[in-house]
Amino acid sequence: MNECILVVDDDPEIVNAIAITLEREGWQVRRAYDGLQAVDQCLDPAVKLILIDVMMPKLDGLSALLRIRERRNLPVIVLSAKSEDTDKILGLSMGADDYVTKPYNPQELIARVRSQLRRYTSLGDVNAEKRQGLLVNGRLTYDPAGRVLRADGDEVKLTPTETKIVDLLFRHPGQVFPAEEIYRRVWNEDAFSCENTVMVHIRRIREKIELNPKEPDYIKVVWGIGYKLEQHG
Amino acid sequence: MDTNWNSTDKDPGGALEQFVAEEVREAVEAGKGVKVLRPGGRVKAPAGFLAFFLGMTLALSALGAVGNRIAWERDPSPRWEWDWQETDAFRDEVSHYLREFLTIGAGGTVDFYGGAYYWDGGYNGAVVEQEAIRTWWGFGQAAEATRVDQGTLEPVPPAEPETEKETEKEPDAAYQADKNVLYYIRNGEIKNGKVYSNMDAGLDKLLARSVEGYNFYLQFVDGRVSIFKDGQTLDVYGDGYYDGDSRWFVPGYDNFPAGEQLEGVKVVMAVRETPIPYYSADYKTGGTSYYSGFYSLARQVKESRSFYYTQGLLLFIAMWCLVVWFLLRKSTEPVNRKIASWTLPIWTEIRFLAGLLLAAGLFSGLAPGELYYALRDAFVWESGYGDLWMGLARLVLLNFPTLVVLFWFCWLIHNDHKHNSKEVRRSLLRALFRSLRARDLKRPVEKRLSRSGGLVLLVLLAGFVLSLFPMAVLVNFVRTYPGIWEVCLLLLACLLEVLLVWALYCAWRSRGLARDIAALADQVEAVRAGDLERPLILPEDADLRQTAERLNDIQAGMKAALAEQTRSERMKVELVSNVSHDLKTPLTSILSYAELLRQEDLPPAAADYAKIIDQKAQRLKTMVEDVFDVSKAAADQLPVHLERLDLGKLLRQTLADMDGPIQASALTFKAELPEEPVMITADGRRLYRVFQNLLDNALRYALEGSRVYLRLKTAEGTAEASVRSTSRTELPEGVDFTARFVRGDSSRTDGGSGLGLSIAKSFTEACGGSFRVETVADLFTAVVTFPVEGD
Repeated sequence: MNECILVVDDDPEIVNAIAITLEREGWQVRRAYDGLQAVDQCLDPAVKLILIDVMMPKLDGLSALLRIRERRNLPVIVLSAKSEDTDKILGLSMGADDYVTKPYNPQELIARVRSQLRRYTSLGDVNAEKRQGLLVNGRLTYDPAGRVLRADGDEVKLTPTETKIVDLLFRHPGQVFPAEEIYRRVWNEDAFSCENTVMVHIRRIREKIELNPKEPDYIKVVWGIGYKLEQHG
Repeated sequence: MDTNWNSTDKDPGGALEQFVAEEVREAVEAGKGVKVLRPGGRVKAPAGFLAFFLGMTLALSALGAVGNRIAWERDPSPRWEWDWQETDAFRDEVSHYLREFLTIGAGGTVDFYGGAYYWDGGYNGAVVEQEAIRTWWGFGQAAEATRVDQGTLEPVPPAEPETEKETEKEPDAAYQADKNVLYYIRNGEIKNGKVYSNMDAGLDKLLARSVEGYNFYLQFVDGRVSIFKDGQTLDVYGDGYYDGDSRWFVPGYDNFPAGEQLEGVKVVMAVRETPIPYYSADYKTGGTSYYSGFYSLARQVKESRSFYYTQGLLLFIAMWCLVVWFLLRKSTEPVNRKIASWTLPIWTEIRFLAGLLLAAGLFSGLAPGELYYALRDAFVWESGYGDLWMGLARLVLLNFPTLVVLFWFCWLIHNDHKHNSKEVRRSLLRALFRSLRARDLKRPVEKRLSRSGGLVLLVLLAGFVLSLFPMAVLVNFVRTYPGIWEVCLLLLACLLEVLLVWALYCAWRSRGLARDIAALADQVEAVRAGDLERPLILPEDADLRQTAERLNDIQAGMKAALAEQTRSERMKVELVSNVSHDLKTPLTSILSYAELLRQEDLPPAAADYAKIIDQKAQRLKTMVEDVFDVSKAAADQLPVHLERLDLGKLLRQTLADMDGPIQASALTFKAELPEEPVMITADGRRLYRVFQNLLDNALRYALEGSRVYLRLKTAEGTAEASVRSTSRTELPEGVDFTARFVRGDSSRTDGGSGLGLSIAKSFTEACGGSFRVETVADLFTAVVTFPVEGD
């Protein structure tokens, strides 16, 4: 792999910890300790991904993000102690590709970094996929014709039931399906206390496609109503 | 980051500014024409209204004046002849003259009583002396019906010395001085006949009908009359039969021939074109008399002409005014509204009185007797006295200026009713009625006070009105029998009356007091309910003004205290938020390095230590997050996204979500959930957290092997979800489990933060539900209640 990742945080220990984690996975790491340094270092073409903190001296992470976006088109993952929904929405709408809250799970962080890098380096233009009738949702791509689901370009192995659930959800992104509805459509039987059955399958799908199955990005529960597939850009 | 945005936006911003400036300049240039019109719009409304006012006033007064003149027959008839010599009155007068001249010509004597045949509308018949004359002046049968009264024939009173002389006078003495009529009367043949004339010289001119200043000539020869006017011969007899339509009442018709005595009589008379006034002596009384029948007739016709000209002109102006108004009528509306706002405060009773007065004013010009006749003319028309419409018109048009005023009065009322609703119009009676009724008052205090106050007011008012009668009697008595005691009595009575009026005033004012008390009571209620924004403002002179201000002070104080409390709450949340962020940063390092440490190849003991560090750091992380949530919820700053959801489904989803830990535990979960949906309004994610915490709580503290019951019941519009478990340890008495950092097991060695139930309670309440914990011995029950949404 040998891609270079820029890690920005005002706390040198955290930078170091992240660096060790990433280097163990085989990536090269550059370090920056405030927003201005981050903006300077991002110009290096070797840098393929940026991990950036929000609250930093001199120039905060979000402002630095805006400046970086003016200069380079590369994945940026925001790493912040702010865990409110509003903070996440703000960060993502300012141009971040992903938002990870501190304290982070190192395994999850690695998974997210890998996912972003794949999308930007291996997969290339997402529009090309759209033209072929593929359903693209964030790092997931679903081919309705072949009933093949790919995460970051890798095919996800699904059982027939799981494929049916995925097919239903991908064809109606954003729509909320009650468990009975999913059961009726997938199992073709009348639903009776199907909540657990459906949930088990959904949990398995999550384990296969989500970076952190406990905090899913894609298949979400709408409490008191049902389940839905969240549409990502 | 803001500066960044601004710098990137600078250029388009500049372009936008330029664009806006250009637009504005264009608009201003285009608006120059509009600017001229705008003040015109301000002028339009008053101008339109002025045109309407002038037009209506002028038109109504002109029409009224003309109608009045016609209805009351104030014009010499026929009314529309503007040449005075063309009027019926002129013809009557001429025939009167002719009759007199023929009398003289036939040898009679004419005496004259001052009055003219036509004396400003009066009629004095001439007294014809000789019996013989009647024979020729008699009418044929056909003419009899239309004969006018000729007056009475009276014998000449016994001759006295003075009157002896008069009788010796010439028979035409009465006409000698006539300045408007020239005459020539001849009896008998040309040579020896007797000739009377008021012309000394120039008789030939009269006979040739060419006297200067005279344009009307009448000639009676051989029993027939010829009339010449302005050199033209007029048709006198028409078809030769005298009837009601015949214009000239002179002898010579087939059915109205001249009498035998008139044989050989010739009369020539001329009438001045423009009559002049003159005096003549009255032979009976010895005084002078103003005799100018023709003069006053001519003057009246002239006056009538100028009257109609003037009214016509006024009508013409009025028409143009109305045209102007019609064109501007849309823009006069603001003026009408303004006028309506002026008339608004006038009480209905006053309007009614004014209307009555105006209506009475219509007939004020009429004496009672005249009114009777006018009414009789108008209404008893079938008895032959008059024509209904004419009578009515005469009545209505009697006082036409009042009619104009009445019109404007009606217009004002109409305008007022159009623009002001019934509710805002003021009526003394309605106000009194309302204050007595008090039914539509909302506030019970005011209702009670107002009712009793209204009763007192009514009694006092009745007392005052009744007391006026004995007062009048007393005043009359004192006037008749003045004396010191009587005067003292009167003064005492006056004092009592003043006291009564004062009491009346106080009672009236207490109505205001009742209103103020009610307002004060309302305000107290509002403050109690939490309204700290609106102060109570009573009028300056209100008795309760000071009390209201004190109340406002209390309100302001409470508001300040609340603001202070809110501010400190917010600060607290900010503090907790900052602290939790600050805690998270080192926690991140700890967790990161603990993870790295775990990946290192460590001796078994060290690996255990690293694992413990990782576990405790994870727990710390949970606690930090929980503290943040609970402090936010406590400060009511928890954002909730409310939606309609099925509580039963939410519970099933929660159970399914937590299926793993439940299966792993030694507990049995029993769920009793209704099949039909239980719809409530709540934030699904927050509520999930509530039940997650409750189930977590059960998993953590329930006795191993025991059963946990999850129930959902609906009754009386509420949904009640309960989690019931048997505690592993003895539950302490009198402990609020929902307080922060309280747990059944005080050893604090389990993995919980001690905030689970506290968060459950806060979140439930933030979603609009209620949360309570019941403990019976070792039985622990958490109950979440929500109102059920109807479909």
